[in-house]
Amino acid sequence: MTAMKNPPLAPTSSEGPSVTRAAGRTSAKAAALRSRLSTGAIGAVVLVLLAALWEGYKALGQATGDRLLGLRFPVATDDLSMPGVGAILGALVEPARRGTSTILGVYLLEEASVTLREAAYGLVAGSLLGLALAIVFLHLPPVSRGLMPWLVASQTVPLVAIAPMVVIWGGKAGLPPWVAVTGIAAYLAFFPVTINALRGLKSPPKVQTEFMRSVAAGRRQLLFWLRLPAALPYLFAGLRLAATASVVGAIVGELSAGTGRGIGRVILTFAYYYSNGPEKLYAAVLVAAVTGIVFVQVLNLLERFALRNRHTR
Amino acid sequence: MPESPIIRIDGVTKQFNPGTDRSVTALADIDLTIAEGEFVSLLGPSGCGKSTLLRIMADLTPPTAGSVSLNGKSPATARRDRDYGMVFQQAGLFEWRSVQRNVELPLQVAGVAKQERRAKTAAMLDLVRLPEFARHFPWQLSGGMQQRVAIARALSADPKILFMDEPLGALDEMNREHLQGELLRIWSDTRTTVVFVTHSITEAVFLSSRIVVMSPRPGRIAASIDVDLPYPRTAETRTLPAFFDKITEVREALHGMTVAEDAA
Repeated sequence: MTAMKNPPLAPTSSEGPSVTRAAGRTSAKAAALRSRLSTGAIGAVVLVLLAALWEGYKALGQATGDRLLGLRFPVATDDLSMPGVGAILGALVEPARRGTSTILGVYLLEEASVTLREAAYGLVAGSLLGLALAIVFLHLPPVSRGLMPWLVASQTVPLVAIAPMVVIWGGKAGLPPWVAVTGIAAYLAFFPVTINALRGLKSPPKVQTEFMRSVAAGRRQLLFWLRLPAALPYLFAGLRLAATASVVGAIVGELSAGTGRGIGRVILTFAYYYSNGPEKLYAAVLVAAVTGIVFVQVLNLLERFALRNRHTR
Repeated sequence: MPESPIIRIDGVTKQFNPGTDRSVTALADIDLTIAEGEFVSLLGPSGCGKSTLLRIMADLTPPTAGSVSLNGKSPATARRDRDYGMVFQQAGLFEWRSVQRNVELPLQVAGVAKQERRAKTAAMLDLVRLPEFARHFPWQLSGGMQQRVAIARALSADPKILFMDEPLGALDEMNREHLQGELLRIWSDTRTTVVFVTHSITEAVFLSSRIVVMSPRPGRIAASIDVDLPYPRTAETRTLPAFFDKITEVREALHGMTVAEDAA
C-alpha cells in the first residue's frame, strides 16, 4: 500500500449543516418565545370563553325560566346550582370563616399546598418504584409476564375501596395521616411510569444495542448509557400521567383520612355545607384544578431542561 | 503479501431456524483468510450472507459450525479486547450525546480517563475532518457527517480491524463518492484492516485491495479478486481503463454465478 497524501476535501456544502444555524439561533429563540406567548394567550382566551359560556347559559336560563322551546335545561341556573363567576371569584377574597381574617383564597392555597406536597412525595416515591419495576421487567421477561396482569388489576380496583384500608393501616402503625395519603398517591402514580419507562427502555434501535455489544459494554453501561437516556422522553410522558394521577390520589386519600388537612378535606366540608355557600365549593374546585396545572407545568419545565439537547421529534 | 493473516475463517456455516421447516442455510462452508492491512470487500446480491458473515466475525451472531479467529483470538475475546470497531448502515449515534461524547463512548466503556478520552476524541475528529463539530448534536449534522462521526467512534479505541456493514448505503451518490475518498485516506492514515460489506460493484472496485464475491442460496464464496489499481486512488482513478476492466471482471464473476444458478 502506498502512503497517500490527504486529498484536500473539506466538508462540501452538499454535506454541511445549514450554514445559517448560528445566525438563526437568536431568531429561533424569539420564535420559541412567540409560540410560548401565543400558547398563553390561547389559554387565557379559553378561560374567558368558558366563563362567558357559563354566564351566558345562566343568563339565558334566568330569562326563560330554564325552559327553551318547551324543553327543560339539563342543569338549573339558579344561584344554588350555578353560582355566578363573579360570586365564585368574589368568594376567594372574602374571609374563609366567620371571625377569621384569612381570606378564602389564601386558605385554599394553604390547604392545596398540603395536598401538593403529598402528591409530590407520592409522585417521587411512585415513580422510583415504577422505574425500578420497569428495569426488573426489562431484564426478567417471565416476571414481567407474570406480574403485569396483577399490576393492571391493582389499577382497576376502585380507589375509594383501597384508600380507607391504607389509611387504617397507617393509623395502626402510628403514622401521621399524610403518610397514608402519600402512599395512595404513589399507588396511582407508579403504574403509568412503569408502562412508559418499559417502552422507553426497549426503544433503542438494534444498531445502537449492537454497537454497545461491539464495544463490549457491560449490562450496567448498556442500561445507564443507552437504555435509560433513550427512555427519558417516554419517562416524562409517564410522569405527566403520574402527576395528575397522584393529585387525584392525594385528594381521594384525604377524603378517607378522618382528620388531617388538604384541599380534599376542604372540598368534602364545602360539599357538606353546600347550601350555605355553593360558590365556596366551586372556588375550592377551581383552586384544586389550578394546583394540578401548576404541578404538571413544573414537570414540563423539568422535561424541557432534561431534553434540551434533543431534536424535537 | 508478507503479512500474517489477522482474520481466519474455517468452514463457517450458518443456518437460521435449524431443524425446522423454516430452516435457511445462509452460509455454507466458508473459508477465508484476510491479511493485516488489507481492504477486503464482501460483495454480492442481497441474501448472499455477506452481512451475516461480517456479523459472525464481529461476534454479533454465532456460527452454526466452523471457527473464526480474529487477531489470534476467538471473536468473543477479540470483541471484549476491542480489537475491532464497527460501522453500521445507520450511523446510530446517541442523540442525547454531543459528537464528542459519541466518539468517546468506546473509550468511556473501556474506562479510559477523561483527559485521555478528550485528546483521543479530538484526534479522531481531526481524522474524519469534523473538528469544529465536536459540540454539535447528531441531529444538527447531515447523513454523511453522521456517518463520519460513526467512523471516528469506531476507530476511537484504536482497533486493529474495522468492520463496515454497507456504511455508505444510505447516502446519495455524491456524498457516497466523497466519503469513499475520505475512507481510503482514513485507511491509509490508520493502517487498519478493513472488511467492508457492499452490493455496489464500483464501490468495491474503487475501495478494495481485494474483493470477495459471494453467491446466494446458500451463501458461498464465488471468487476472490485482487484489485491491483495503485493507491492513492482519486477521482481520476474512476476514469482509468483499468478501473473499468476490473469492474467488468467483477461483474462477470457475479454474472457467471447467476448463469450457473439458472442452469442448475
